[in-house]
Amino acid sequence: MTSAAAPAELEGAPATPAAAGARRSGAAATGILVFPGVLWLAVFFLVPLGIMAVVSLGAVDPGGHVTLANPGLGNYGHALDPEFLPALGRSVYYAIVTTALSLAIGYPVAYWISRYGGRHKILLLILVMLPFWTSYLIRTYAWMAILRDNGVINSLLLDVGLIDQPIPMLNTDFSVILGMTYGFLPFAILPLFVSIDRLDFSLVQAARDLYASGRGAFLHVTLPLTMPGLVAAGLLTFIPALGDYVTPDVLGGADTTTVANLIQVIFTAGRDWPYGSALGFLLMGVTLIGTLAALRSLRREVIGMNA
Amino acid sequence: MTERHLPGIGFNEALEQKLAKANWSRREFLARVAAFGAATALTQLLIACGQGGGSPSAGAPTSGPTPEGSTTAEATPTAAPTAVPEPEDELFVLNWDQYIGEETVAKFQDKYGIKVTYDNFADETEQIGKIQRGGNGGGWDIHYPASTWVPTFVTDGLIQKIDHSLIPNLQNLNAAWQSPAYDADNSYSVPNMWWTTGYAWDPRDIPGDLTSWAELWNPARDNQMSMLDDIRECFAAGAFRLGLDPNTKDLGELDRILALLEEQKPLLRDYTATDQIDYMIDEVVQMAHCWSGDWVQMTYTKPRMRYVIPSEGSIKGNDVMVISSGAPHPIAAHLWIDFNLDADISAENTNYIGYMGPNDAALPKIEGYIKDDPRLNPPQEILDQLIELAYLQPADLAQYTDRWNALRA
Repeated sequence: MTSAAAPAELEGAPATPAAAGARRSGAAATGILVFPGVLWLAVFFLVPLGIMAVVSLGAVDPGGHVTLANPGLGNYGHALDPEFLPALGRSVYYAIVTTALSLAIGYPVAYWISRYGGRHKILLLILVMLPFWTSYLIRTYAWMAILRDNGVINSLLLDVGLIDQPIPMLNTDFSVILGMTYGFLPFAILPLFVSIDRLDFSLVQAARDLYASGRGAFLHVTLPLTMPGLVAAGLLTFIPALGDYVTPDVLGGADTTTVANLIQVIFTAGRDWPYGSALGFLLMGVTLIGTLAALRSLRREVIGMNA
Repeated sequence: MTERHLPGIGFNEALEQKLAKANWSRREFLARVAAFGAATALTQLLIACGQGGGSPSAGAPTSGPTPEGSTTAEATPTAAPTAVPEPEDELFVLNWDQYIGEETVAKFQDKYGIKVTYDNFADETEQIGKIQRGGNGGGWDIHYPASTWVPTFVTDGLIQKIDHSLIPNLQNLNAAWQSPAYDADNSYSVPNMWWTTGYAWDPRDIPGDLTSWAELWNPARDNQMSMLDDIRECFAAGAFRLGLDPNTKDLGELDRILALLEEQKPLLRDYTATDQIDYMIDEVVQMAHCWSGDWVQMTYTKPRMRYVIPSEGSIKGNDVMVISSGAPHPIAAHLWIDFNLDADISAENTNYIGYMGPNDAALPKIEGYIKDDPRLNPPQEILDQLIELAYLQPADLAQYTDRWNALRA
């Protein structure tokens, strides 16, 4: 539900100046309606974030407790240790590839549901969301059964005679990216669907009437008009993918550690919350920069069109 | 409702008395129970009390209730307002999946009429997170952490002192477990099961008798081995290979171990502390750094799998039963611990899960294939060579964590 709401907000944002006058009268009522959400965010997002920020400046005393006796940025210096760069690079790599694959697979699916789903649209969308009815961990373990050396795929290939040695698929970059793409694909499809479904297809017909090729009409009309959906879908895939530690842990191997895995180790086995918080903030910083860059490109795209 | 209520009160009464006067005769007990009109419901309990008795309790109240005077069940608690243990009618237990006798929970419920909510978790990370939740044990009464966590949990106030007077079966513990290094006199914890660390291998791929830790560094097994996803266990394996103390705090030694682990990493398929059993059964790897109990579970599916406690030395570990500081049902929790220390129950637990317990009284009832296997129940001379992982101060642990993250990054 939240994932479906997000793109609507993103799309609404650029239109705000034009609609500002109409909205002003309803501002009070909107304020009341928005209040629970704001309160929720404040209590369950901002407060923990604040606690994390404070903790990240502290240290662990000999008794294992977080102490703020000598607050400082030492943990951030520690977190910037170049030894962690390979894991950070891997996190970004997995997230980018996952996002690209999710968009490449999700766009045609969303397009098809919107254009050809007809009266089954809702059913098809429910099918997209159906996997959420099962825990992500369980679904990831199911992939383990499919990918392992004596798993479904390798057994089939061996039986058919296409291979005579099982292909090691589990515990590789391949299995991690596959698992993540599988996991985050619905987050891409839903905003893409909203965006494509709201597209006025008479514009595409007009383009064709003006002798645009099918490809030209898609590239110059459909794609730009659904760009907000693409950016939203990209963000909704990229952000969780960057912080994912379950998939690399379950489907990954000895050499698929992400920054999120390292943060987990520091918090749990390492019992060093201040340091873990600092590394967490660093990852959030990277995510924020990526998000802002994406939103900037979105704004330029839409403003450029309006002008 | 009433039917359930009455035996409950009768039990409180009985427990109270049991604590006050360990040498109660059955006849006297029966007479008193009869006064409450709950004799039949208490027969089971009576038997239980009869076999457990004998240990005097210091803290128990001396003034027993007056059965003649109290006519209604409700009157009983007011009749004895002193610190009398009132077992609650519920108990929340959080433990590993498949890590207790098949019928233990049911038997406990039958015996005490206490409803047990028995929850599992996926891995130690989740377990520790749940124990730390709320700063008081996360709402569960009983947890089963590894013993190495005990000092931390005591410092953090997550677990409460164990009232030994409520656990007469503590006397069943082997002498070596009466005062372990991680928790003197078992003040805050009671040992549950113990194990060794070693490695399992598939003799179909790797023939012969293996003995050394060096096998896990054999380049011929590229991408065919897994190591435990456990900082301390991996550093211990490296330490034993180098002849160093697995609890070393010397930074130079830690660097040498790290270099050895870096050398090993390219040969590994995965680091895992949850999938090693499946990896061996599914033949994802040919050799897996694992705990002795993991190997037993591998053999349930593939009896050919082998295991060794490496000759350079290895780790002996154990887990414990602890009571959360915020336990909603502390008396029932003590009863749970006592129940699991019972000779029969402890033996049933071991026979089902394949881990040896610290329970001397249970030894005669443990299946031969577990008890007589030197890999699961090593002789004293091997036990003497095994080392327990010691608690590390945060500053020392950070040295391990940093090197581990550098290895994994």
